[in-house]
Amino acid sequence: MTASTDVIDALAGIEPGSPTAALRERRPDFVRYTQGSHDVLLAPADPAGVSLAERALIALRVATIERSDALADHYRAQLRAVLGDGDAPAVGTPRLQAVLDHVERVTTAPRTATKAHLDDLRTHGLSPRDIVTIAQLVAFVSYQVRVAVGLRLLAEEARA
Amino acid sequence: MTERPFTLDPVEWAAWLPTVDAATATPEQLAALDKSPASARTSPYFLTLAHDVEALAQRSPLFNAVMYASGGLPRAERELATVAVSYINGCVYCASVHARRFSELTKKPEIIQRLYDEGLGTALEPRHRAIVDYAEKLTRAPDAATGADLAALRAAGLTDPEIVDLTHAIAMFAWANRLMLTLGEPVDAIRSGE
Repeated sequence: MTASTDVIDALAGIEPGSPTAALRERRPDFVRYTQGSHDVLLAPADPAGVSLAERALIALRVATIERSDALADHYRAQLRAVLGDGDAPAVGTPRLQAVLDHVERVTTAPRTATKAHLDDLRTHGLSPRDIVTIAQLVAFVSYQVRVAVGLRLLAEEARA
Repeated sequence: MTERPFTLDPVEWAAWLPTVDAATATPEQLAALDKSPASARTSPYFLTLAHDVEALAQRSPLFNAVMYASGGLPRAERELATVAVSYINGCVYCASVHARRFSELTKKPEIIQRLYDEGLGTALEPRHRAIVDYAEKLTRAPDAATGADLAALRAAGLTDPEIVDLTHAIAMFAWANRLMLTLGEPVDAIRSGE
């Protein structure tokens, strides 16, 4: 995790000293806690039952579904960096498949979620905390995609 | 899936997971709850989010800044954007809360009622029209947003700082709706008011 790089600035192509950077500086709490949310969801002090590799994989899945190439590249790089530590997610296991099915549901059709879906995740060994983490991560990336798009449009316009 | 109608009346929310008990919460959980709304220590929603205390401790100050920071986009217009997003995503609970905030700020509950009755295409004043259109674009198809969408906001009188605030309000409800819709469900209010 490169904590010194602001992910939204990188995704939206916001250069230091540019008009769009100045616009962001008006709202320091937006900047600080958007980056902070990214950092604690992707690289928490204590990951509990959702590994760092699974977190990067989940975020990559959301970015891909949302058709954000820049964000997908970011999370693919994150996944590679984490896998360098040998912590590969168990692809193809019923547990990971259940998680990724839930990730897709929360991303594309959150209104179709039911308590039975959460009960199913619990039968795969996920704790309430893990389920909250997955919801927060999917929902955060859904937020991040939209912030990046809006700020990228402003940055492109300012350069034109 | 809920067939519950959108409403301006209070709705409550029930958690699907066991919630954190404020009486046995860790100091970190209590600190994160106390950065959240005043009712967080008794709210099933915040007591669910408190399971991941690191995430809640970042999200609550972000949410507060996006919805309540002074200056920039008028608060009522942030509320309008969040109602539009919640309507599209089907979050009856979120829409109820923010419809009532919009109505308290504007004294015009009929605007939201008409939006519920007639959909997002209902007649709106030009600024509201532009805000709802941008909320719809960023919610349904963020990858399809273009400079033309910014031009429509500018034509309605929004400034660059207001567009930054609007973007964050819309995006924040991509987040909020997904938590509210997938960690619990709306239930009838036991009492009126909050």
